Amino acid sequence: MTFSKLTLYLVASAAFFTAGTLAQAETIKVGVIATFSGPNAIWGKQFREAIDVYVAQHGDEVGGHKIQFIYKDVGGPNADASKAAAQELLVREGVKYLAGFDFTPNAVAVAPLTKQAKVPAVIFNAGTSSINKQSEFFLRTSFTLAQLAQPAAEWAAKNGSKKVITAVSDYNPGIDAETAFAASFEKNGGTVLEKIRMPLQTNDFAPFLQRIKNSGADTVFTFLPVGPATFAFTKAYNENGLKAAGVSFIGNGETDETTLDALGDQAIGLVTAYHYSDVHESGLNKSFVAKLKELHPGSRANMASVGAYDGAELIYRMIKAAGTDGTKAIEAAKGMEWESPRGPVKMDPVSRTVVQNVYLRRVEKGADGKLVNREFATVPNVPDLGFNP
Amino acid sequence: MSLILSIVVDGVAYGMILFMISVGLSITMGLMRIINLAHGGFALLGGAAVHLLTTRLDVAFVPAFLVAVLAVVLVSVLLERLLYRHIYGFNELGQVLATIGIVFIMIATVNLFLGSTILPLGAPAIFTTPIDLGFRTLPFHRLVVIISGLLVLAGLWFLMEKTRFGIYLRAAVDNRVAAASLGINTPLVYLVAFALGAGLAAVGGILGAELLPIEAYYPLRYMVLFLIVVSVGGLGSISGSFLASIGLGILDTAGRYLLPGVGTIFFFVAIVVLLALRPNGLMGKAQ
Amino acid sequence: MTAPVLSTSPRRVTIALSLLIPSTCVVIGATLAFLIFPYDLSFLTRIVIMMIFVVSFDLILGQAGIATLGHAAMYGCGAYAAGLVSLHLSPDPLFGLLVGAVAGAVMAWISGLVLLRTHGITLLMISIAVTMVLQEIASQARWLTGGADGLAGITVGPLLGLFEFDFIGQVAFIYSVCVLAFVLVLCQVLIGSPFGLALRGIEGSASRMRAIGTPVYRRKVTVYVIAGAIAGIAGALAAQVTGLVGIEVFNFSLSADVMVMLILGGAGRLYGALIGTLLFMVVHHVAASIDPLNWLFVIGFMLLIVVFVLPKGLLALPGHLARLLRRTS
Repeated sequence: MTFSKLTLYLVASAAFFTAGTLAQAETIKVGVIATFSGPNAIWGKQFREAIDVYVAQHGDEVGGHKIQFIYKDVGGPNADASKAAAQELLVREGVKYLAGFDFTPNAVAVAPLTKQAKVPAVIFNAGTSSINKQSEFFLRTSFTLAQLAQPAAEWAAKNGSKKVITAVSDYNPGIDAETAFAASFEKNGGTVLEKIRMPLQTNDFAPFLQRIKNSGADTVFTFLPVGPATFAFTKAYNENGLKAAGVSFIGNGETDETTLDALGDQAIGLVTAYHYSDVHESGLNKSFVAKLKELHPGSRANMASVGAYDGAELIYRMIKAAGTDGTKAIEAAKGMEWESPRGPVKMDPVSRTVVQNVYLRRVEKGADGKLVNREFATVPNVPDLGFNP
Repeated sequence: MSLILSIVVDGVAYGMILFMISVGLSITMGLMRIINLAHGGFALLGGAAVHLLTTRLDVAFVPAFLVAVLAVVLVSVLLERLLYRHIYGFNELGQVLATIGIVFIMIATVNLFLGSTILPLGAPAIFTTPIDLGFRTLPFHRLVVIISGLLVLAGLWFLMEKTRFGIYLRAAVDNRVAAASLGINTPLVYLVAFALGAGLAAVGGILGAELLPIEAYYPLRYMVLFLIVVSVGGLGSISGSFLASIGLGILDTAGRYLLPGVGTIFFFVAIVVLLALRPNGLMGKAQ
Repeated sequence: MTAPVLSTSPRRVTIALSLLIPSTCVVIGATLAFLIFPYDLSFLTRIVIMMIFVVSFDLILGQAGIATLGHAAMYGCGAYAAGLVSLHLSPDPLFGLLVGAVAGAVMAWISGLVLLRTHGITLLMISIAVTMVLQEIASQARWLTGGADGLAGITVGPLLGLFEFDFIGQVAFIYSVCVLAFVLVLCQVLIGSPFGLALRGIEGSASRMRAIGTPVYRRKVTVYVIAGAIAGIAGALAAQVTGLVGIEVFNFSLSADVMVMLILGGAGRLYGALIGTLLFMVVHHVAASIDPLNWLFVIGFMLLIVVFVLPKGLLALPGHLARLLRRTS
């Protein structure tokens, strides 16, 4: 008993000693926890490439500190692996900032650690509003589902949609989107005929689209996880003749740049409300996209890229303001404003999610023959509408 | 009425894809008694080959399709000679380990060269044209799938019932040792059956890509689905696989139409009940 | 079964001591790991929890010859049960483990009654289907489980009322190792008992065992329930250590990984489960951190090499080497 207690103290003090010396050293480490392997490996790839671009553009030094990014793979939604990775990063590597987090459980699992270690964690993607309530050290540079679904509903209501059917994947993000859309659409005078929840496991959406077509709805709102499901749903929308029958489509991330070309020409005309398109008209976005092409030919910027790029920006700004002091860094981050490739963004001091423009976009053929999401209307400065403190 | 017809049409189209991919697995599991978890890998390889040919090399879809299926057959012959022949002799657990190893390598290969995102197949535009059936419209490719499924069924029936190879194969399924002692070249029968199964998987994978999109993790994502078809149909039975595929396709589709929310639970509970009542599947022989 | 521990006859003492060998090995190994890798405790804890899970699978596959691909069902039930108990009832970790064990056992009993009547691929498929149903329920019952976002906010009180779970993960590691040691002793006792011998017999030939009067089905259900309880403990431990349970606990890939780890190490002996888990997880971890895009190649080739060179698993390696040496000398 005494022996094991002794080793406990020895190891613990050794750990804190190492951590202490690292704090004084020049290098500040940032741990990026994301999915680099398995079916969802695209997340980690996009994160990493965007950080490469940011570092190439801004250097790896800020405020006298050298910045080093350390990447940890968790292989998909896996809370156990995410927490273990965070512990390893904090204890062994002595990271002062955590980042990444593609899936909600992976973010929530590290909430207690961020509080204990007082380390800011910047979420590049996970979009459930309630995550930020779990720890005051969470900051989010992506979006929340309500932030996107509500502007979509408002735009649809103002542009001729009267009767809507929502068709979402039957899991938490889908239901968050459904709730936000339906509430807002009804508030704006529309009718929601039916709320369809589709099994996560399925790729055959013909039955649902047939139902929507027969229902007399003039618009379908949808939310599905990026990947085979969005691919199959948008295809089925066209193939079952909904477009021809005059049922308009409004979604959020269904026309993501990484899967858009796979959808092919039939995607042309699909309308989505989203916070980022890689053809956003701004000098900053153009240089971001160009640098990405240069460093990683064949890659396309998408919402994951811009989440990571802005996450890196936010971390650099926090380091400049507060160095390695996590609590001070969070305080400094609140209310921070900067220009992002997606447009102007501001860190909401209450919800700690970025306030940003939401754009209505339509899929078009771009200059180089590739499909793009062309922005045609802007809903400015949308906060996280789903956050209730 | 039109609702029921809709369910049947969608369910049959879905079932035909399952049938084409799974029937080869059923034959190899029934014949070689091998649990080949890498079977879906052949569908993946077929799809990936078509993707390469159509989108990177601008080959037209039909020739690309033929080349891809042929390539998969060749790969399967090679694998059979190099690996599977030894794997037949392993116990069940060894087979699981070996075939999982093979499928991992297949996935990693596709992932390395083509990435982990969806691989579009560059199907001709006519595939996506809606066809008016009167009570509803149907995308043309589903019609293609249904017809191909029927052709595969007819072809297999002919092969099994009317050719010498079919007699050998059925004899080997029924009693491997007796077949061998009667002078049937069982290793060759195995090889042909294996290559046939792999080729059919490739056909199903390519034609079914609109429904089960091709991506690197395809074999793992749908492995359970294919195994369910085989076990419900009964090992080694072509008609069983066909009935199971169509039945499960309709059951799954009906669950989604009529029982949103609990459709998935309904589907799997139905399978548990069915297998508990008929442990050898619909058409399986007692083992 | 409990008699040997109390008895004083020398033979029985040896038997009693031999029961402790695997646990002792584990404790020594864990102590060394603790001292050599003090900064990797969270990963080591995941290995230890996985070992418990794989050992429980060895009871049914290795001892009784029942192959399933749905062992995650019991793991997941244990995890959710322990999580819910700590959220709503009591934060005591040991109580949570107990509840996890009960949940795993109950799930095993209910599903075992159906699936142990079958065998071969039918058994495999039913076990998968049961796990799928559970995952769908966990995903749908958002009010209870949190759905896809996971059951969050699980906190556990100090162990035995004394040791707080610390930031570095030392208490969690020691706690998991103790549970593993306890489980190993339990399994050793079980395997050495007449019941364990009956299982071996069933694995060899069920019909012969039936002929000599062993109630085969009932024995199978019993071992399935015991294995379920241990799997539930593993799940409960994971829930307590991570503080969150996601619907991924019911993933098919988890069940498949467990089977792969066991066969890799060698089914039928508890050491096989331990070695297989250690090798699989360490290779995965190292390969994935060196090259996350291509680690699957490494695992794939490793499985093929093991199955072709050592069909009986890694445990057969010493024997192979010995024979090789004897032949060359």
